[in-house]
Amino acid sequence: MTSTPTPAVPSGTTTPALLDATLAAEVLHLARAGGADFSELFVEDTVSTQLRLHQGDLKDAGGGNLFGAGLRLLYGTRVVYAYTNDVTAGGLRDLARTVARAQGGAGEVTPGGAGGLDFRTVDARPLYVAREHPLSAAKRDKLALMRRAHGGAAGVGDVKTVDVTYSDRVQRVLIANSEGLWAEDERVQTRLYVNAIAQDGTLRESGYHAPGASRGLEFFEEVTPESVGAEAARIANAMLRAGYAPAGKLPVVIGNAFGGVIFHEACGHILETTAVEKNASVFADKLGQQIADTCVSAIDDGTLPGAWGMVNVDDEGMPAQRTVLIDKGVLTSFMVDRLGAQKTGHARTGSGRRQNYTYAPASRMRSTFIDNGDRTPDDLIRSVDHGIYARTMGGGSVSPGTGDYNFAVNEAYMIRNGEISEPLRGASLVGNGAQDLLNIVGVAGDLALGQGMCGSVSGSIPTDVGQPHLLISAITVGGRA
Amino acid sequence: MTAAEQLGIAGARTYLLDRARAQGIELEVYAERDTSTEITAFGGEVSEFKLQARQGLGLRALVAGAWGYAFTENLSRPALDRALDSAVENARLVTPQAGSALSDWPAPPALDLYGEGLSGVGVEQKVRSALTLEAAARGADPRVTSVPYSGYSDADSERLIGNTHGLERGEKALHAFTYVAPLVSEDGQNKMKGDWQFTREYTELDPTHTALSAVEKSVALLGAKPAPSGTFPAVITGECVGSLLALFAPMFSGKMVEEGKSPLAGRLDGVVASPLVTLLDDPTLPRGLNSRAFDAEGHPSAPLTVIEAGVLRAFMHNAQTAARAGTVSTGHAARHGYQGTVGVGHSNLLMLAGDTAPEQLAAGLTGVQLTGIAGGHAGADPITGDFSLQAEGFWLDGGQVAHPLEVYTVAGNILDVLRDVQAVGSEVEWTMHATAAPAVRVKALALGGS
Repeated sequence: MTSTPTPAVPSGTTTPALLDATLAAEVLHLARAGGADFSELFVEDTVSTQLRLHQGDLKDAGGGNLFGAGLRLLYGTRVVYAYTNDVTAGGLRDLARTVARAQGGAGEVTPGGAGGLDFRTVDARPLYVAREHPLSAAKRDKLALMRRAHGGAAGVGDVKTVDVTYSDRVQRVLIANSEGLWAEDERVQTRLYVNAIAQDGTLRESGYHAPGASRGLEFFEEVTPESVGAEAARIANAMLRAGYAPAGKLPVVIGNAFGGVIFHEACGHILETTAVEKNASVFADKLGQQIADTCVSAIDDGTLPGAWGMVNVDDEGMPAQRTVLIDKGVLTSFMVDRLGAQKTGHARTGSGRRQNYTYAPASRMRSTFIDNGDRTPDDLIRSVDHGIYARTMGGGSVSPGTGDYNFAVNEAYMIRNGEISEPLRGASLVGNGAQDLLNIVGVAGDLALGQGMCGSVSGSIPTDVGQPHLLISAITVGGRA
Repeated sequence: MTAAEQLGIAGARTYLLDRARAQGIELEVYAERDTSTEITAFGGEVSEFKLQARQGLGLRALVAGAWGYAFTENLSRPALDRALDSAVENARLVTPQAGSALSDWPAPPALDLYGEGLSGVGVEQKVRSALTLEAAARGADPRVTSVPYSGYSDADSERLIGNTHGLERGEKALHAFTYVAPLVSEDGQNKMKGDWQFTREYTELDPTHTALSAVEKSVALLGAKPAPSGTFPAVITGECVGSLLALFAPMFSGKMVEEGKSPLAGRLDGVVASPLVTLLDDPTLPRGLNSRAFDAEGHPSAPLTVIEAGVLRAFMHNAQTAARAGTVSTGHAARHGYQGTVGVGHSNLLMLAGDTAPEQLAAGLTGVQLTGIAGGHAGADPITGDFSLQAEGFWLDGGQVAHPLEVYTVAGNILDVLRDVQAVGSEVEWTMHATAAPAVRVKALALGGS
């Protein structure tokens, strides 16, 4: 099975498209033969690099080529999704016929042949253009960045073991649908991850730092590899001789940047229409209501140039947006994809995202953060008599049905009489999103973003979390002292 | 994307091994092909229907004692050539490591993971399974307000491994799976707990049973009261012990040991757990979630005793970690499909049952019954064994369940837990992470509550 590698037909595009427009139209049409209201084709060609340095030696070098197409049909709000990595004309026609049959033959669309679509190209001008594109950079240059990161951590204090992982991904996509949408995009991501283990006798503790961006290697001019290593080492050393955190309900000051994982888990996931539409969100019927203190405003933004969670267009071909979720404590919007809009009636927010062609898109976060407030970090800490300062956070998770969430604290300290005191290890925070949001009583003005991979129904995608320092009046701390 | 002619995985393997031999490159090819169906039901209808067909190849080239990896899903000859070049380029960058070698291993054991197949099972039957599951959960109790997560899936997969030393292995596997999590509400409290079933034969699925069990488990959590903070004796259910084992399985990896990341390093043949604890890893269980006749390098599978009556007997090894540790591979080379690199991983990790009847485990105990944990990806550290996790469970008063507990935390160290096991139940439960264990009673666990 072969097809002619024809360049794109739609006007305005200069690089060769992933698929010939005539074939795309034919596939979209064939797929609707079973009576679907809507068909959507997602074609992907992704090249990635993964390198791992252990104790200064390059131990693993890999990466490769992800290559495939997904076809989504909507029958009302019912979804049929199929994918293949046989991206030949024959393979795609087979896929279309298979997916058309999946719902039986009711309400067939007349087979009017191919080419019936007049594609309109979405204006998806990149918000940011990589200067040192990962596909143009030599692997030796990437390795050099890793060695610098290793140098930033190795031998610092009690650090004995250092792992550095470098990854980049260049994802080229084409999204075309039966409404005539045609969107092409290239997503460039680079990331550096340093894990440092400090050891003293039998005491052992690890620290990590993992910044990333939708940028080329020029990102590491701004965030130097040395500083990434140094931050991992700082956390490992700070926690090495720490005692265990206390357990119980306490006031907690949460650090900025990755501290925003609290909002991501506690509230972000249940503001996605994938949860809202199933009534599996405690916020489903709270639009326009005060759900947090007036000091809390929260935003999900896909338009920050070069941000890890940036999207030029979402995976449904909609240009990125900035979505205010909570304005001074009032719930103002959900994060809405095409299906979510159909099911809930709320307007789409450009939030349809997926890991790759093996997933149908779903409403997902981009760069999600709590906005700046009017306090200072010192001011927040001084207001706590007996509590915890959670300076850097690990990951977390939430059960969307109940809103119960957890997250791990990587670096914590006691606060006594308004002063940061001894370090604490092994703290986790648990709670219920809707309740704890009400307990955020103070927000500082030092907003920063942190980078993570967010896993959910449509796979693992890059998202930013973020916040300024903030104070939660009471939250359950899990420790063992 | 020039959609040139695509080879099948077997053809691509042959093509690559021939090319490598011609160029004098030592090469291993790992290939997978999967087709699967996923049907999600919501509100009495099929809400999502997913058909999947995916294949790809992972290459591992050995050049001057160093491995280089590359993968491709594009199986055209030019793309395969690019992948081979890329694997060789990567190998030239990597630091050579002792023990790097390819082998033609002995034949694997005969293991049928395919059974009767799914060819006779129509789409309508699968749809019925999904709808039955959701309807049964919805109708089981008036307190079920919705069934947000419910579905049927199956997969038909094939795995091939070959290398330039003459090894050629192939294996087919099949499974059917259902999962359901009903949301139940009462007096403003929302609770949700799932249940699931994994089978090798479609006909063994029992969606109604799975649905009723999930509802029963969810409803039992209603009426939760705040948990106390402090240290209490505990009974941990088998599924929950299994979840802990899954989080800490990397402690038993020879690779983690050699990289200084296992708290068990240097403790081989020492006492690391209560004498009541025996732990096996068995890839040859016909119904295990991670069963396989050979590992990711083609090495034949066999059961391995990891802890025997509290004594650490073995670490899990692939060929390379074994060579460096001065031992032989235990057949635990693992990779996350063709995109991953070869490491070490467990297959089906199993703690053996003891002789305490389930109802006797909590006898006279006032403390906690831990039934579930969450947040392990961040709250558990296999390097130290420490954990601090979101927990679910019940308060026990004099051996009887008094009431469920609101979300709380449980913290400790896995090695302390294994050491403090005082009684082991007689029934083993499986987790979705291919780990299994009986319920145990432990001396103490630290809880964080109100």
